[in-house]
Amino acid sequence: MEWISEYSYLATLLVVGALLGAMPVIVPLFISPRSRGKKKRDTYECGVDTLGSAWVRFDISYYLFALIFVVFEVDVLYILPIAVIYDSGVYEWRDFIEVFIFVGILFLAIIYAWSKGVLNWRSE
Amino acid sequence: MPSNILHFFDNFWLAIGATIAIVMAYLSVNAIMLIWLERKLAARIQRRIGPTRGPFGLVQQIFDMVKLFSKELITPDHVNRVLYLIAPVMIFAPVMALCTLFPISATWVFHDYSVAVVLLLAISGVNILAIFFAGWGSNNKYALLGAVRAVAQNISYEIPLILSIIPIVMMANSLSLYGIADAQTGVPYVLLQPIAAIIFIISATAETNRAPFDIPEAESELVAGFHTEYSGMRFGMFFFAEYSNMIIVCGLATVLFLGGWKGPYLPGPVWFFIKVYALIILMMWFRWTFPRLRFDQLMKFAWMVLVPLALINLLITTFVLKLI
Repeated sequence: MEWISEYSYLATLLVVGALLGAMPVIVPLFISPRSRGKKKRDTYECGVDTLGSAWVRFDISYYLFALIFVVFEVDVLYILPIAVIYDSGVYEWRDFIEVFIFVGILFLAIIYAWSKGVLNWRSE
Repeated sequence: MPSNILHFFDNFWLAIGATIAIVMAYLSVNAIMLIWLERKLAARIQRRIGPTRGPFGLVQQIFDMVKLFSKELITPDHVNRVLYLIAPVMIFAPVMALCTLFPISATWVFHDYSVAVVLLLAISGVNILAIFFAGWGSNNKYALLGAVRAVAQNISYEIPLILSIIPIVMMANSLSLYGIADAQTGVPYVLLQPIAAIIFIISATAETNRAPFDIPEAESELVAGFHTEYSGMRFGMFFFAEYSNMIIVCGLATVLFLGGWKGPYLPGPVWFFIKVYALIILMMWFRWTFPRLRFDQLMKFAWMVLVPLALINLLITTFVLKLI
């Protein structure tokens, strides 16, 4: 059961990190001066009055990049376990051929996205 | 085998306390010194003097800290309060856990995980979430644009980053940071994997949102990007996290490519920190040398140059490893 204490060590550090991160943003609430003013709490927009909300729909190109990212991120994680035992002498050439086919298919994903024009940022 | 802080202290909470004390002391001093270093370096590169208060201008940073702490925290009216308030805390949360992953010398490591590389990549993903929370929660057009760009940039450069790590993992046959550094007997991997090293350092610069990839916070077009609406110490947390993240990516580069603690004459920790700070100075040098890329150039560079190059490098590595 060694791994439970191993990973609870890291998990505890994450929680403590969040608590410690909260301290510097709480302390100034007690020691900082307060100012008043009508415009103080307005949204910043370079000196003019704010027009509308920022929560609008934006460029679809970002979404396409996110899609390719998901494809790649998942696939790349599949290579990691192979990499750990790669060339350890058990499989002769089999692991090379498998990695080759896998990366080849990954390449097809890039070529497909390239030919569909996703990688060229939409220009008008 | 390296020592383990959990075994060293026996008591779990004692180990946690010691870790926090060491890492927090290190991170605070480190952030202050790095900001000083960056300002001095920038000044020298631009033929200015830079901060001058106290010996070598060191006291300036203390003043700046006091100033940041005593500033009023302004919460604008139209923000999404939950996201807005949680973001500065969240961006700092992973930093401490990440710092404990690094082997500082052959015997000094807080805890050696067998999957440390994956853990490090997974935990540092929280960063992107925090940046997007900040930008979306601010309800500000500049902040939103900055956040959207930051997310697109970070996810794009994460792929070449991981693809440049995989050849290293193949050569070391290990995912543990200690194992990878230990596997570099004699020649560091930077000489065996120069392409991977170059891809890594470019992607790492982009991952930390530093110039020439600082498009998320490009001050000449987006005011301050995703942290436009943050004031005082809330802004300070983003600032602090940026410098802590530099330490983490440079530490990772040191372990993966420069052989970690290994080096002649000097003891391990000294070599480790010399290598880390040399890489950090390199990244600062980038900042004051290269002009900022345009956003579409940035995305094209990641997907059309770095990813294919990293994949080809991966294939060559697999082939060569089979031959020898």
